[in-house]
Amino acid sequence: MEKDKNKSENPLKVNRRHFFSQLSVGIGSLALGSLLIPDLFKGTTENLLSQPLGIPHYAPKAKRIIYLFQAGAPSQFETFDYKPILRERMGEDLPESIRKGQRLTNMTANQDSFPLMPPKIGFQQHGQSQTWISDFFPHIAKIADEITIVRSMHTEAINHDPAITFFQTGSQISGRPSMGSWLSYGLGSENKNLPSFVVLTSRGKGNSQGLYSKLWSSGFLDSKHQGVLLRSGKDPVLYLNDPDGLSRSDKRHLLDKVSSLNKLHHVETGDDEIESRIAQYEMAYRMQMSVPDVMDISKEPQSIIDLYGEDCQVPGTYAANALQARRLAENGVRFIQLYHQGWDQHGNLHNEMAGQAKDVDQASAALVLDLKQRGMLDDTLVVWGGEFGRGNFAQGKFDPENYGRDHHPKAFSIWMAGGGIKPGLNYGQTDEFGYNVVENPVHINDFHATLMHTMGLDHEQLIYKYQGRRFRLTDVAGNVINDLLA
Amino acid sequence: MKGTSKKRWIDYAVFGLSLFLIFCLIFDSYIELPRLVGWIGRLHPLVLHFPIVLLLICVFLGLTGRKIPKLLLTLAVTFALLTAISGFFLGKETGAKGDLLYWHQWMGGGLALLAAMWYWLAQSKSESQILTKILQVVIVGLVLVTGHYGGMVTHGEDFLALPKEKREEKIPENPLIYKDVVSRILDDKCVSCHNPNKKKGELLMTTLNGLLIGGEVGNTVIPGNPGESELIRRLHLPFEDEEHMPPEGKKPLEGFEVQILERWIALGASDTLRLEQLKKSEPMVELIHGLMRPDPAEKWAQLPKVADSTLRNLSSDYLTINRISSNVNALSIDVFMPPEYDSKVITKLNRVAGNIVELDMSGLPISHEEIRLIAACKNLEWLEIDKTAIGDEELDTLAILSKLETLKVFETNITDESIGVFANMANLKSLYIWRTSVSKDGVDRLKSKKPALLINNGIDKELKSFFIAKDSVPEI
Repeated sequence: MEKDKNKSENPLKVNRRHFFSQLSVGIGSLALGSLLIPDLFKGTTENLLSQPLGIPHYAPKAKRIIYLFQAGAPSQFETFDYKPILRERMGEDLPESIRKGQRLTNMTANQDSFPLMPPKIGFQQHGQSQTWISDFFPHIAKIADEITIVRSMHTEAINHDPAITFFQTGSQISGRPSMGSWLSYGLGSENKNLPSFVVLTSRGKGNSQGLYSKLWSSGFLDSKHQGVLLRSGKDPVLYLNDPDGLSRSDKRHLLDKVSSLNKLHHVETGDDEIESRIAQYEMAYRMQMSVPDVMDISKEPQSIIDLYGEDCQVPGTYAANALQARRLAENGVRFIQLYHQGWDQHGNLHNEMAGQAKDVDQASAALVLDLKQRGMLDDTLVVWGGEFGRGNFAQGKFDPENYGRDHHPKAFSIWMAGGGIKPGLNYGQTDEFGYNVVENPVHINDFHATLMHTMGLDHEQLIYKYQGRRFRLTDVAGNVINDLLA
Repeated sequence: MKGTSKKRWIDYAVFGLSLFLIFCLIFDSYIELPRLVGWIGRLHPLVLHFPIVLLLICVFLGLTGRKIPKLLLTLAVTFALLTAISGFFLGKETGAKGDLLYWHQWMGGGLALLAAMWYWLAQSKSESQILTKILQVVIVGLVLVTGHYGGMVTHGEDFLALPKEKREEKIPENPLIYKDVVSRILDDKCVSCHNPNKKKGELLMTTLNGLLIGGEVGNTVIPGNPGESELIRRLHLPFEDEEHMPPEGKKPLEGFEVQILERWIALGASDTLRLEQLKKSEPMVELIHGLMRPDPAEKWAQLPKVADSTLRNLSSDYLTINRISSNVNALSIDVFMPPEYDSKVITKLNRVAGNIVELDMSGLPISHEEIRLIAACKNLEWLEIDKTAIGDEELDTLAILSKLETLKVFETNITDESIGVFANMANLKSLYIWRTSVSKDGVDRLKSKKPALLINNGIDKELKSFFIAKDSVPEI
């Protein structure tokens, strides 16, 4: 009683005995409580969220992804979604029962009528899967049984920038990490001498829209996960090469000195970013050797050059990038992002698409075949597609010889091959006008979830906490499309 | 006596409530509750804990020979009666009463009435000690059992079952579609609300008969017609729909599970149909085969443990070691050509040879030492030694890799002599041998020995010539 009274008068006045007796009860109850925490003393836990990064959550089917992005949005009506009714009812107004007041861009919103426009190019069925593919793509048609076409993609964005940002980052508003950055963050690097996320760009003669480096930005993730743009020509990575007169041993010496200074600073401040900077310098040093080696296609035999087409010897073309993509994949780059610009056909669609298709058709198909003969199609996922689809009606005046199509988010087609995706499948369906998805819709979030699944990642478990909230590539949505998985 | 009138009042209340309870229990099937009265039933979970504790305290005091304060016993009994009555109201809301609810109701009612009896006994002057003690013991027993049954009604019958390792039983060879596949899906996702004890919507999903009879809505399963079957219709509703099953908050069915149910109904919803009776083209066959395939992580469970620190020590800038997935000891190793190659980088891997499942050494200057290391990786399933200088002799050393499934030896010096080695690799599924000295004849021989083996000898000639004939896009 006496003691307690003292204590209540002055909470700080606690004698030694009192302190220890309270401490023992405290420790005892803590110990009891800790019994309820599984594996507290074992150091391992089954919980996915607390797993170290850099390891798949479960055994993956695919180890890397080559994403052949067709920037500008190729029309599904001239590629993979064959709709004969457009020819039968050519020029008729798109029934309102189909359009249902769907919002349009201001390029067509003020049109008086929406005359149905058939593709000028022909379609044929190919492969055992009897897949309809347009005559623009004779080479891809040859691999119809290797690829799976998804005709039921849909998105919310109707303009290029938000749409492409959505595809790359899972959000229409820029600032989130790119898909490749997420995979680098979740799976780590396979080859420490190359970045795990590489970007290659090329441009066709068709109407183009801009590409911005924000598309391969690592957002709030560590900057080491950022995509590295490899340029064609002498300097694939800017500022990677040493200036004239600096020998490699001088460079080594310099790096050692810088790193010892940085280490001192790290001891002082304890900032982990310094360590990651030291690692980046080292990687750049090794990349001085590894990048030119990967980029050098002179060792490729003639048969491979023939396969990808002559273009592949011209640096900066899509074909060259496709071949490069295979070489990067062989060298353990996790995510290889190609962009081919020029697919935005608001007018002169037939001629422009013919040119675009010629750029990409042979090389895309060659890449799949080349990966296959190397046994890499089993663990490499190839994706081909744009950011949205195009309308089934003519933009501007109705002229079947020279027409254009406006943006259309509600349905479009992409294809995938290898990497744990069922081959030779036609997935999803649009209505007879090709306007709305009527069967097995695949939203961009679902697409991301499925891609991550093939890479052995649970899209709901790969999380980064930033600004007080948890972020995922699929944010709060997305379902794995199990039907697509082999 | 002071307070007599008050005591009287409470006596009456206990008596009145007891009578009301007896009435309810007897005329259960005739009673239809006004909505507001029915709502009182919702208070059952709120009040039920009081009589449990109060009665137990009273019995404890009584059995240990202490005096039971009158107020305490009065409160206990009143709450017991209120609980029983509110519980009865709540039970009326449920509609059909399963076995659990039935027993809970009668035991709860009995308990409240016994408690009331104790109340009267305690009041009477001629209190029989033995009778009171017996009553107390019975009350304790009933409190426990009734409480337990009540718990099972709300939390499910196996709520108190000992936690058991969740290990799915394997689907047997040639399974019965209903018993081994369909009913497992239902058990997993539906039965917690549609069982004999909790028949939501009057639907019983634990037996085929229950499914065929259907629930309130009817037409739950129409054999041969999944489109018209209510079960399938509700599975396909959008999640937001009130009628979607399973309801919000419960785990929805996977796409393939819905497909299996659909196909099973389409094929007549039979309980005797077996997997092998189905046609190859039946889409359900592949789905069920998918379910029967063992989890890859399982086959690696026996591999020796390997510490992360070991992996860190062995890896370098040019040698990447990854676990195939977290929590497995199976390793995937990629080696890239360093500026100065030393075979020790590879031979060091001896320490973890048994754990290596995937090994990529393509393009390295492989010699005998590396080959010996590879041969020691007895659990190897995936090996890439393409673009190396290995020949038939080296390959012969690797013949002991019995678990090998994928082997890449393209752009090497192997010849037809290695055909025998490939043929003897029991698990080999894919082989890549283009740009080697293996002849067409050799490939044919291997094909006849191992028809299931996928032999990749480069791109098909015809296809290749199509690609070489350039500019096949029509000029426009």
